[in-house]
Amino acid sequence: MDKFRSEFTTRTIVLIPIAIAINVGVNWIVQQLALPLYLDSIGTVLVGVMVGPWSAGLTGVLSVIVISLFFWPPAVAWAGVAAIIGFMAALFANAGWMKSWWRAALAGIITGVVAAFLSAPIAAYVFGGVTGQAGTDALVASFRAAGLDALGANMGQGIVSDPIDKLITFLIVWAIMLGLPERLKTRA
Amino acid sequence: MTKTIAHLTDFSFSYAGSGTKAIQEINLAIKEGELIGVIGPSGAGKSTLGYALSGFIPHFFTGDLSGNQQLFGQETSQTPLSELAGRTGMVVQNPFNQISGARYTVREEVAFGLENLGTDRKLMDKRVNETLERFKLASLRDRSPYELSGGQQQRLALASILAMEPDLLILDEPTSQLDPAGAEEVFESVHTLTETSSTTVVLISHKLEWLAEVADRILVLVAGRIRGQGPPREILTQPDLEPWGIGSTQYTRAARLASSAADTSQPALPVTLDQAVGFFKPWI
Amino acid sequence: MAQLSLYRPGSSPLHKLNPLTKLAVMACCLGAAFGFPNPYWVVGFYLLFTLSLAAWGGMLKPFLVQNAKLILPFFLSLFIIQGFFYGGATVLFPLGPFSYTLEGVEVAFGFTVRILQAIAGMTLFIFSTRPDHLMLALQKHGFPHQAMYLVVTTMQIIPQFQNKALAILEAQQARGLETQGNLIVRLKALFPMVVPMILGSLIDIDERAIALESRAFSKPGPKTSLIEIPDSETQKILRWCLVAAGLLLVVWRAL
Repeated sequence: MDKFRSEFTTRTIVLIPIAIAINVGVNWIVQQLALPLYLDSIGTVLVGVMVGPWSAGLTGVLSVIVISLFFWPPAVAWAGVAAIIGFMAALFANAGWMKSWWRAALAGIITGVVAAFLSAPIAAYVFGGVTGQAGTDALVASFRAAGLDALGANMGQGIVSDPIDKLITFLIVWAIMLGLPERLKTRA
Repeated sequence: MTKTIAHLTDFSFSYAGSGTKAIQEINLAIKEGELIGVIGPSGAGKSTLGYALSGFIPHFFTGDLSGNQQLFGQETSQTPLSELAGRTGMVVQNPFNQISGARYTVREEVAFGLENLGTDRKLMDKRVNETLERFKLASLRDRSPYELSGGQQQRLALASILAMEPDLLILDEPTSQLDPAGAEEVFESVHTLTETSSTTVVLISHKLEWLAEVADRILVLVAGRIRGQGPPREILTQPDLEPWGIGSTQYTRAARLASSAADTSQPALPVTLDQAVGFFKPWI
Repeated sequence: MAQLSLYRPGSSPLHKLNPLTKLAVMACCLGAAFGFPNPYWVVGFYLLFTLSLAAWGGMLKPFLVQNAKLILPFFLSLFIIQGFFYGGATVLFPLGPFSYTLEGVEVAFGFTVRILQAIAGMTLFIFSTRPDHLMLALQKHGFPHQAMYLVVTTMQIIPQFQNKALAILEAQQARGLETQGNLIVRLKALFPMVVPMILGSLIDIDERAIALESRAFSKPGPKTSLIEIPDSETQKILRWCLVAAGLLLVVWRAL
């Protein structure tokens, strides 16, 4: 409980809304550039690296709630996945993986694969296999056409997009940590 | 005998991860009700001094310190920020960063600090209304803080802290990011503050005319050390401020020019408008 | 906009309810969405209860518009994917190697209706509740005040951030950054936009934290509030009933 509390300093509490705004803002830029990515967890990963697992988990959950309330209601179903992404980022940072670009990239890919495995059942069983987004749904449809069942098709779609998405996310966070002044790199 | 609000004895501090001392061997005692002006070139450690006086060092900023720090009669290191809550506060440069974001209207924003202190609702309502009136924010009470101009936001930041009636207030270059109109609004608010309350104030600023007007004492900080302190008229007319990049007030400059042109011996040079009037009067 | 909000101001009886009560209504609606073994019951619930509540809240038209807007993409995707790939016995019409089946349509219908009811429940809540009032009500019931700061501040700074993102996009484009063209070009445009934007907002953290500390933010102890949120014993009881009903419905389906 103490470790939990020690993470939530005033600086952390100030950081979290900024991190959530980063999640939403970068996601918007990605849509403007019409890239086939989400990039909606940069803030979450940042909190994981700058603070620790609990605050990163919370950032993920709050992000999802905000996106759910104002942009896309179904997002809330993936709250658990968002929290886990934050957790994993903190664990990788603790293990020193965010210090070199290739380890950060690997951390991203691993996180992406885990996210894909966790997201697929949610899409398949809660939403009947679709998310209402044309690009990803088309991908799911083609997997179904190839003969995969509901879960398999969602898994297929996830394995294709999530690792790349998280790879880029972790690389961006690595780049940011390079440019950040020392005094802000408080690690719990 | 007036109370000493904050006291630094042989105090030095370097930020964590930095080898150099940001401030060194500071000996300073601030009495209740004083308004101390702090001037110096950038990087001199003025903000650091502000943090050390108000308790943000060591509780918010970590590093190596030596010497003694006292605030409200107690060892600063023994008094956590949560205990200092409501008694000490700081206004910083950027007006936008001081909007908490946790409240939708100006009125509620002013109440935010009082709510955190657990103030009774009736008293809070009264204080909020008084504060809004005092700092001319009453007409903006139902607006969103984000809709305000820079000067208005800075006034709001000031008002929000003063609603809690703190004992010590640090103003760290409060007008440096404002346009002249906004800066003027803040000057007025600080005047109001000095006239209507006994809050002790430390004002860090480059605006010498302003400091000359309101400060009881001025401190000159260069490379982390105090190079001089005294009444405005004494400090601001010294010739050796130039090499440190500190200018002089327009009144002093005018008086110097006039004196050298008239080739007369100089009585005390003025630093404020009133003093300038007095200085030039014999010549008219 | 000053803050991110879908709240539609009003003075209906629904608006006047305590935010926690409205949260309980939403919980019940979600329970109904995923409870009820038979999807036709969900339709009934939607028509009888959910729509009545929306009408009671004086927001029927915008409510329906929002529901339609959000369910449409799901509706289309579901009816296509489940219709073609569920693999039932009753073929409605063939299309090349694929068959559109009745069983597929039934499954699509089931999912669509449930998602619609869930969206409706959330919309009811969001349209009639001021976010800061919700957080205040939660605070009164023991949530830490930092939670209120987190939620409300997030909603207020997101629009600021979007404006910043827009400004950076335009500034970089003015500098000649290529943002259209093939995938690689667009991907390369990402870093020079995103990294400075993020670094800039992180530098502000210290000043923001100092400002909060200056408002006694980390002082422990009970917090008071300037504005009052009405509540009553009746509502408290109602809340428990609503949540219990929602849970029972889900349990029913699970059995």
